[in-house]
Amino acid sequence: MAHAVEHEYTTTGLNHRKMLMWVFLGSDCLFFGSLIATYMVYRGQSLVGPYPIDIIDIPLTTISTFVLLMSSFAMVRALAATQADDKKGTVNWLLITAGLGAIFIGFQIYEFNTFKNEGLTLGGNLFGATFYTLTGFHGAHVTLGIVWLVAAAILGAKGRLHSGTALDVELLGLYWHFVDIVWIVIFTLLYLIGGFDAGPTAIPSG
Amino acid sequence: MAHETEHKSNHPSLKQYLVIAVILFAITIVEFGIIWEPIGVEDDLGPTVTPILIGLSAIKFAIVIMYYMHLKFDDRFFGTVFIAGVVLAFAVGGALMTLFLSFDGEPRSYAAAHAVPYEGHHAAEEKHLTDGAEATETEHAPEPVAAGPISFTVAAEGETLTFDTESLSAASGSEITITFDNPSVNNSHNLVIVQDGTKDAVAADGTPAGPANNWVAPGDSRVIANTALLGPGESGDVTFTAPVPGTYQFVCTFPGHNFTMFGDFTVE
Repeated sequence: MAHAVEHEYTTTGLNHRKMLMWVFLGSDCLFFGSLIATYMVYRGQSLVGPYPIDIIDIPLTTISTFVLLMSSFAMVRALAATQADDKKGTVNWLLITAGLGAIFIGFQIYEFNTFKNEGLTLGGNLFGATFYTLTGFHGAHVTLGIVWLVAAAILGAKGRLHSGTALDVELLGLYWHFVDIVWIVIFTLLYLIGGFDAGPTAIPSG
Repeated sequence: MAHETEHKSNHPSLKQYLVIAVILFAITIVEFGIIWEPIGVEDDLGPTVTPILIGLSAIKFAIVIMYYMHLKFDDRFFGTVFIAGVVLAFAVGGALMTLFLSFDGEPRSYAAAHAVPYEGHHAAEEKHLTDGAEATETEHAPEPVAAGPISFTVAAEGETLTFDTESLSAASGSEITITFDNPSVNNSHNLVIVQDGTKDAVAADGTPAGPANNWVAPGDSRVIANTALLGPGESGDVTFTAPVPGTYQFVCTFPGHNFTMFGDFTVE
């Protein structure tokens, strides 16, 4: 069984499923590339507030960025455990990865809720529209990844993940790391650089 | 079995993974340090901050795909497929930004001229709490504002033939947009920026010009800028470049209004 999976015949000599995952990730780059480009195009074009500087909380998001980076480390540990036929390690590291992902999503829910209360809505201004669309789709990717991680942990607990089926975990890992690198880009552009974008200033008048 | 051993030798060891995690953390801390105001590095770096931040995130991106996603150790073809996606994404992004920002539309200057300031949540709350102190706050001398697009909102004060603002100030050379609201029920108003001390003369000369000319004499050299004549409930705006430093006035030139409806405009 394991043999069939690992040495499937293909014209490139490469595994079909792994190739499929990389092609998908390549196309997902275009998906996020377009959303990021849209944000950059409309950056600085909002006519009403709140503007990024009014609400973006960089320290808080730096913490959630750390959490996501940490989850990537947990993910490589999960794959290493699977390849070493360490059932307990596999399940634990998969669940840790899922847990860290869930913490990241928790930060995002808190952030969205705070922003909503400060007046930023999807239809309120260009900043809100492009911000929520981009970070929302990223959050959806993370959420899907959490579901996948938990499902894999259940399979692992049933003893279905081992060195022979390590590709299952490796593909999950590729997806998870991809979500991480997308966040690296979003964090830099929307928070570190774009987070200081201000609206017009005015003299306080009566 | 051969595959197994190959796998082991090809992937980084746990120790290497840990080192990579530490490097990724360190880069993120550096990024945060660069932009965090109390540390104050950002001011020293000036405009180089953006390329540095983009460079650091590119390094993180590369480390993750090379080591965590094993592209460094895997077949090159996987990397080629993925990088092709990245390159296409950059092409799409570049094309979109060129299309929407490079051909004359100047949407950002439009936004800069028309956007309204956001009275932040916290500011609004503070104002609510210190309602009594508000009056003294507005009496403070106007703060100089940095050069760059600036928006002001000025309104007529009911039927009292006064503006709600007595003074405005801006840096010389900055692009200024004044939005003038006329909430009055009966009166028409305009807002004219004039040389210091000329408000009554400009208004007097504007009277023969009539409402068709917004009560401003055509070609009056003392007039720096003016809004259209606004009927009750209307609002309009005027955009101009702040002149050389000095004192100017803003006034309503509707006949008779100039005696009460004016303020100082200071350019620094």
